Amino acid sequence: MAGLTQQLWGVEFQSPVLLASGTCGYGQEYAGLIPLDELGGIVTKAVSVEPRPGNPPHRVAETPGGMINAIGLQNVGLERFREEKLPWLAENLDRSHVLVNVVGHTADDFATVVADLDDAEGFLGYEINVSCPNVKGGTLFGTDPEALGELVRRVRGSTDRPVIVKLTPNVPDIAVYARVCEDAGADGLSTINTFPGMLIDVDARRPVIGNLSGGVSGPAILPMGVYLTWQAARAVEIPIIGIGGIRTARDALQYVLAGASLVQVGTALFVDPDVAINVHREISTYLDQQGVARLADLVGALETSGHV
Amino acid sequence: MSAPCRLPARVLSNERAASDTYWLELDAPPIAETAVPGQFVMIGFGLQDLDAPFLPRPFSIGWRGEDGRIGLLVRRFGPGTHRLAALRAGEEVLLLGPLGRGFEWETGRALVCVAGGVGLAPFLFLAPEAIRNGASVSILYGERTGDRVFDPRLVEQLTGVRPDLYTEDGSIGRAGRVIDGIERGTESCLFGCGPTPMLKALERLAREAELSLQVSVEEHMGCGIGTCQGCVVRSSTGDWIKSCTEGPVFRREELAWPD
Repeated sequence: MAGLTQQLWGVEFQSPVLLASGTCGYGQEYAGLIPLDELGGIVTKAVSVEPRPGNPPHRVAETPGGMINAIGLQNVGLERFREEKLPWLAENLDRSHVLVNVVGHTADDFATVVADLDDAEGFLGYEINVSCPNVKGGTLFGTDPEALGELVRRVRGSTDRPVIVKLTPNVPDIAVYARVCEDAGADGLSTINTFPGMLIDVDARRPVIGNLSGGVSGPAILPMGVYLTWQAARAVEIPIIGIGGIRTARDALQYVLAGASLVQVGTALFVDPDVAINVHREISTYLDQQGVARLADLVGALETSGHV
Repeated sequence: MSAPCRLPARVLSNERAASDTYWLELDAPPIAETAVPGQFVMIGFGLQDLDAPFLPRPFSIGWRGEDGRIGLLVRRFGPGTHRLAALRAGEEVLLLGPLGRGFEWETGRALVCVAGGVGLAPFLFLAPEAIRNGASVSILYGERTGDRVFDPRLVEQLTGVRPDLYTEDGSIGRAGRVIDGIERGTESCLFGCGPTPMLKALERLAREAELSLQVSVEEHMGCGIGTCQGCVVRSSTGDWIKSCTEGPVFRREELAWPD
């Protein structure tokens, strides 16, 4: 059996496959359907200082090869997350790791969430969400290098836990933002969040999504995610988690070859809750067939010589 | 309520039941055994076929057989329902269920089920179960046009209840809307499923007549189990609440009913 474990941020990931933020709630919802403790980990629904009500419906709709969503970061807020959600994760997840996805309007908001949670049990580190397209100012930090650097420094100064920054694809050069995060002390990057998009009901001549626009995810965005992951990986030394449109092991392996050490599956979970376990198993089969001893040997192993 | 399960399910039959409307029977024993009326399943095509609609779709469990069958009422509307309507016996779909909160009823009460279009589906399941528990059940079933009417004899065969039929074009049954058939001033418990304008009219009637009402709502859905928070409806306290886990059945007092 080939080794799928990855050593990152001082811990071992038993699987390179995690569940993406916003698609697995706070973990509990999938208990009984997915063997959560056999995964690499889960990334929680975003947590903000105060609970957020979210956007009006429709919040989701199918698009060619995926979906569009504008949930609007509806979440239970910091206090309920700490008191109700985190204890369940601490109790039920032993071997798979939890990253807490954090959002805020200001750097203070992010720092408040991190400072408040930092002593709690049940999670490894933070995924800093500077890339939500569905709330006002959601990508503010993610599209301004200076603000991004300040935010990451601020969060970095508030915790010794791993700080991973989830980047938006909606920038002209993701490498710039990747370097800003690394220079500011980030421990890793998640590439990428959803693409801003719009869907119009031609009969009603109205936007389908209550928020007018939303974030596009699913298989349709796979090549964009792979490309942006490759660009980010070339720019930094810190580990990267590849996200965007993964539904098979070969999709995941594209991200790994492009430079991702771990991957997250998201939208595909809605179609088949078994996807994370299946991707893990099929990666293992691939490594055995290819005679690759460790998945780590494939990270960034993309061969481009002779291609231009 | 038992935990949902995920299973590949074989199509046993898929019969055209009216214009654009199909009665789809699936072999799904774990779901048939544990489902309660008002619950739903997510039905999808898996991750391998990218030509198929991507997201699974929510459907009320329309009926269950003692042999592990469940029935779904499918009306062709968009690409997802077109694909479902084209399913043939022997093909496989992915099911997740049973999901959500179902109807509640007291034994010995008179249940009045008010169905608009394929909103008939959950009552095909509720009626026989409630009758078995000693309730009396009537079904008011409306369609816009006669060609869309699901065969009343089949309704009677599945439920033991002969539906009171209404069509807006008057071609079958009584001319008019189902809402016209409700008797006010009774002690009946109302149950509604159908288009939003029908549910709004039903809510107004129930409020004015001080009758109890439970409605089954429909909203675009992603996951079906409460993680994506895509399927929200407005609660009477002004919050967005998930129709997949907090519903899809709500008491009228739980929801906001804007004009």
